[in-house]
Amino acid sequence: MGTKLMDRRLFLQAAGVTAGAVATVQVGCLSYFKKGRSAAADNREVPTTCELCPNKCSAIAVVEGGFVKKLNPNPENPKSRDMLCARGNAAIKQVYDPDRLKQPMIRVGARGEGKWKPVSWDEAFDFAATKLAEVKAKHGPEASLWSSTEGFQEVFFKNLGLAFGSPNLVRHPTLCLASVNLAYSATFGTVPSFDLLNSKFVIMSGANRFESIITPDTMDLIGSVMERKAKLVYLDPRFTVTAAKADEWYPVKPGTDLAFILAMIHVIIKENRHSKDFVAAYTTGFDQLAEHVKQYTPEWAEKETEIPAADIIRIAREFSDAAPRALYYAGRRSSWYQNDFQMRRAQAILNAIIGNWDQPGGMVPNAKLPKGEFLFMPWDEPKAARVDEIEKHFPLAAKGDGVYLKLRENVLSGKPYPVKAWMVYKQDPMNAMPDQAKTLKMIEQMDFIAVIDVHMSDMAWYADVVFPESTYLERTDPVEVMPGIWPAVVYRQQVVKPIHDTKPNLEIVQGLAKRLGLSDYFDFTIEQWVEAEFKELPIPMAAEHMKKHGVWAASGQPSFGKTLNPDHRFVTKSGKIELFSERLQEAGYDGLPVYTAPVPPPSDRFRLILGRVGYFTHANQSNNIWLNEFMKENDLWINPKPAERLGIKNGTYVTVTSSVGSVKLKVRVTEEIRPDCVFMLHGFGKKSKMQSLVYNVGASDAVILETAWDKVSGNAAFHETFVKVANA
Amino acid sequence: MRNTLKLLAVVAALAVPLSAQGGSDTKGKFFFKKTCKSCHATGGSAKEVTPLSKTQAQWKAYFAAGKHNKGKEAITTVLKPEQVKDVQTFLVNHASDSPQPETCGG
Repeated sequence: MGTKLMDRRLFLQAAGVTAGAVATVQVGCLSYFKKGRSAAADNREVPTTCELCPNKCSAIAVVEGGFVKKLNPNPENPKSRDMLCARGNAAIKQVYDPDRLKQPMIRVGARGEGKWKPVSWDEAFDFAATKLAEVKAKHGPEASLWSSTEGFQEVFFKNLGLAFGSPNLVRHPTLCLASVNLAYSATFGTVPSFDLLNSKFVIMSGANRFESIITPDTMDLIGSVMERKAKLVYLDPRFTVTAAKADEWYPVKPGTDLAFILAMIHVIIKENRHSKDFVAAYTTGFDQLAEHVKQYTPEWAEKETEIPAADIIRIAREFSDAAPRALYYAGRRSSWYQNDFQMRRAQAILNAIIGNWDQPGGMVPNAKLPKGEFLFMPWDEPKAARVDEIEKHFPLAAKGDGVYLKLRENVLSGKPYPVKAWMVYKQDPMNAMPDQAKTLKMIEQMDFIAVIDVHMSDMAWYADVVFPESTYLERTDPVEVMPGIWPAVVYRQQVVKPIHDTKPNLEIVQGLAKRLGLSDYFDFTIEQWVEAEFKELPIPMAAEHMKKHGVWAASGQPSFGKTLNPDHRFVTKSGKIELFSERLQEAGYDGLPVYTAPVPPPSDRFRLILGRVGYFTHANQSNNIWLNEFMKENDLWINPKPAERLGIKNGTYVTVTSSVGSVKLKVRVTEEIRPDCVFMLHGFGKKSKMQSLVYNVGASDAVILETAWDKVSGNAAFHETFVKVANA
Repeated sequence: MRNTLKLLAVVAALAVPLSAQGGSDTKGKFFFKKTCKSCHATGGSAKEVTPLSKTQAQWKAYFAAGKHNKGKEAITTVLKPEQVKDVQTFLVNHASDSPQPETCGG
């Protein structure tokens, strides 16, 4: 362990000594209140890019006395709109978290027992490389699995997996937004942004944008709804903050949003309200669509959705009247039901036929900015096919991301081949995947597991070796282009040196690569990588600009309508916007969205639904001491009617049981949820004792969620679990 | 970087087996960016080209017809045959009508 190592006690001692020295030297009343400062003052402001969630907002770190004292929003980034949310502010506590990983550790007890031996980096690298080489020698490189989630240094981890020879990289999208990405890609050839800043009429299905923050969408929605009086229609079985701020809230019957959308299309076409010029010039398959939606009347949809037919008709009329400044918002975490892809396709089609494409207040294809690229050595393609058999079961899905749940099924069955090593970067499959017991079985059958992370996640808790990554405020990362209506290039630069014996991911990858004989593929420094990226930024003295400002955004207003010319070719099979999709049909799917009614829960059970809040990111940040103050324990929302029937009182504890597991948590009896659903928040009930604030506090939804996925994208279907609730 | 260049030469010499199977997308991307884009870029000496410049059928036809194979600017003067195959694979895989579902980050 190096000199950088500092645990909480030492840190507090050091701070105390410094403060004491200052108090000794300075006399007088005013100095009594002066905060501790390092003798050699290290006071700076450093622009950087937040990493507490995927939004990548620009921040300015205020360093005083060598410590990160405060994080301020950076007004130069149009995407983050001069805003830094609660999570962004709390990044300071990620650096100075006494629970964080402070040095490499090798497991010495049983997996999950929590017995660890602190080791040197060399020892950790040697151990991991030996284990990986053993798996490779016995089963081939394809027997290694490389799991990661998005981040500026993820590229290095993925490249190590590929250079090692494994085709089995698996990423987060099929636990998140793969269905929406695939649906919009299949329709428009791209996934557009939604111009909430200029829209007059917004419909959202379960996209709880007031609480689940996406920049700039959340701020623009607040602006458009609260200040500019745009109309917001919101569908959600739960009365969220977004529902509270909406003009109309419909507690839609879960799993029936597709019926609502198809009925809207029905009304708009029947009443000739679609944009005829746009449809004729830019789309294919309109006649098939018109014929297809004849069956989906508002009266039929009322029975499915429990939204009155008169309201569906009125909303369809108001929506088309507001076009092109009207949009059906796509949402982000789109992993709900097994028909999720087709529901998102229907949204895309509805948007297309009102002609809101590339218009202010509508859907806008993302503008991009150029940047250079560090050309690294290419390796041979992995020879084996993917273990999740994505080509066979999900031929249209993004191959580079894989399909998480199908992959787990195949790994558990050992077919088509065994997978025996699991490398994980920055992800917690223990909480991200449904059915934790299955994930634990997958862990059990691994010969080797390594995790690279900032903190001891539940996945790390079950690993054989953990590599501590430096927090984002302690490292420099690759440059990132943020495409959008207001595109920007952002740069994350080191604010303070690592305070513990940690490394950036690139150096961890290089340490492993060296011992695996793969050094030539990673023969560069982060500075060389970043310099290559700066080179092609179209601004003078790009490197100096990015280091000084942390962000560069193209000046001026966004330009709309660049794709609205007859010669524009959409990146689809036909070159047009595909209302009907031949490619889907050829792959064995419905070329137009076909509605199938969801199976309702039995009378003694509830549908479990999930959601997000603004102060946690997925299953992360609940152990951040500042954010934990917002919510110290998750609870189960249940409607008063079933609660009364079951004799359940507010604030007591209940057991929640599905076919795969059971958890105990506090109950919140509230009118703010439909009687046929219950809701719980992600990110509690941790198994890792190094998540001390949430260890065994509340419950993890992953324990009770069952395995199901969307048929086209393979996206996990998180709202397909029925649970029993009873007093504990 | 010395090692990288050394390895690059080795890979270029050993790229035959994959090319026989239709080329490598990963290597094709590398050679396209390193070699082709040195001319076919914005402000370059030749017309800007990206994979989206043609459809899959057009790219296949382009290479089948041996376009860009003549004179001192012939593609074969800057890329070995197997590398051309890699570039073709990359361009076809990412052509303007290819299925390209977007991802998140990464």
